[in-house]
Amino acid sequence: MSALLRYQAAILLRSHRWIFPLIAYGLLISVGAAGSSSLAETLDWSAAMLVPIVAFLTRAMLTAEPDAARACVAAAAGTVKAQLATLLVALGGGALLGLAGICFGLLTAEPPTTGTGPTDKLAAIAGHPGIVVAGLLTALVCLFVGSAVGALFNPPLLRHPGAAMLATLAAAVFGLASDVSPAGAALRFTSQTASPVAAHWPGSFPLVAAVCLVAVTWAASTYAASRRDTRSRAEG
Amino acid sequence: MRLQTVGKRYGVRQPWVVRDVSADLPAGRLIRVEGRNGSGKSTLLRVVAGVTAASAGRVTGRPAHTGYVPERFPGGLPFSGREYLLHMARVHGLRGLAGVGAVDEWLDRLGAAGYADQPLRSLSKGMCQKIAISQALLPRPGLLVLDEAWTGLDQAARGALDAAATERAAAGGTVLFVDHDPGRLAGHADERWRLDGDGRVTILPGDNAPRLAQRAGDPAGGSAEDSARGPARGPRRGTVEDSARGPADGLVVTIELAGVEDGSVSRLATLPGVLDCAGTVLGWAGTGNRVVRVAAGHSDDVLREVLAWDGVRVVSVAPDGAR
Repeated sequence: MSALLRYQAAILLRSHRWIFPLIAYGLLISVGAAGSSSLAETLDWSAAMLVPIVAFLTRAMLTAEPDAARACVAAAAGTVKAQLATLLVALGGGALLGLAGICFGLLTAEPPTTGTGPTDKLAAIAGHPGIVVAGLLTALVCLFVGSAVGALFNPPLLRHPGAAMLATLAAAVFGLASDVSPAGAALRFTSQTASPVAAHWPGSFPLVAAVCLVAVTWAASTYAASRRDTRSRAEG
Repeated sequence: MRLQTVGKRYGVRQPWVVRDVSADLPAGRLIRVEGRNGSGKSTLLRVVAGVTAASAGRVTGRPAHTGYVPERFPGGLPFSGREYLLHMARVHGLRGLAGVGAVDEWLDRLGAAGYADQPLRSLSKGMCQKIAISQALLPRPGLLVLDEAWTGLDQAARGALDAAATERAAAGGTVLFVDHDPGRLAGHADERWRLDGDGRVTILPGDNAPRLAQRAGDPAGGSAEDSARGPARGPRRGTVEDSARGPADGLVVTIELAGVEDGSVSRLATLPGVLDCAGTVLGWAGTGNRVVRVAAGHSDDVLREVLAWDGVRVVSVAPDGAR
């Protein structure tokens, strides 16, 4: 499995498919940071933007390998492992982006304490670990939801490029806007209690739901990959 | 390895591309798959190689290492040929120097070493095909599946691939191939699988007459069923039975090995089942090949052991006295 992860990570790096998600994410969190008034809001925004970015990063990975090369890897290592490695590398890339977003938020956002609190920004943040932990866990939920959206609405499950991209975008928006989605639920909860001191993790439900969502969508994607029609032309 | 009523269709409402294929693929067998364009050859090969799962039936006992060469290998990956092969070596489970050595060996044998450091995107079709063949052969696979792998190769590389395919079969691997050239590997195919256009397979005897005759007359072949297989046998639909390959006690197998260092001979002699390893013969590369006589019941274990040794290659495996 580590060889497959290394192979897929090399494809991601060398194909430059990481550049677009990185730039898009950087722009989105910069815009968000400019419009946010508190650390909690900044962290929520950078977590929320992970959903579309990770969804498209997953798409980038699922479409990176030519059919013939994928077939060779499938024969060598099995279709299941090959597909899981592809999804895992996209998830790992998304996790790196998420961490970068959180660091960016911590360094740029207004400290949660004003007035009498310590003047040093990081020390002020350290006084409110609840906000940071909530931000981290929200980012984790959004990372999983983004990965699930990417796996569900892209090849091998949805093969038409136009339909796949539109569906990915629509599902990412729905994932953020709807309370049915774990990402939406996690964001809404922290937003309502965004009073800096009282920011708490909304409970384990969104995280558990997000993990289940990833498990189901990855299983579906892997199942489809194991039965994929790799014929590159009409001949069977 | 065995196929049990295997069928494949690409979707519930799609027609069956391949259906009702039952066959044994014992170690050492070289099988030619033939049929018209669109008869399902490529699909059958993909199912056998595990590239795509069967829609019906089961494929069991696939060997640990499978090499698959697709009919076209467009260089769409962001690597050089050598980088790609090093990745594939690791995916096949060859770590460190073993992987590097295997990559160099196959690039060299196929005549692709001079182009291996160029990006895959810039390589010609033939050169890409050599890279695709190399990745399949890296682990000395127990199952080698070649889908028109010869297309686009120069003559030297075609010869090298012929040699590699027969070498795999001789060392106990199963080889399946499709090629539009009816003369491909003439005299080596043990069986021909003919796809009849309705997705069904008719299993015919191959043209490897000496080997079949040898097998028929050889008690190590075992069963009456095996003896019945021969050039004269008529076409048969469905399963080829290959009953127990374990021969009775007292039978001896001769294994010819290349690359055994003198220091390893004593180690060879101590392997269980080895009766004699003093003999050598002149190999085709001008080197002395070691001839080992092994009790038939232990031959699989001995082969497995020596294949793990550095630099050792199995040149042939034959019933004693057949050479």
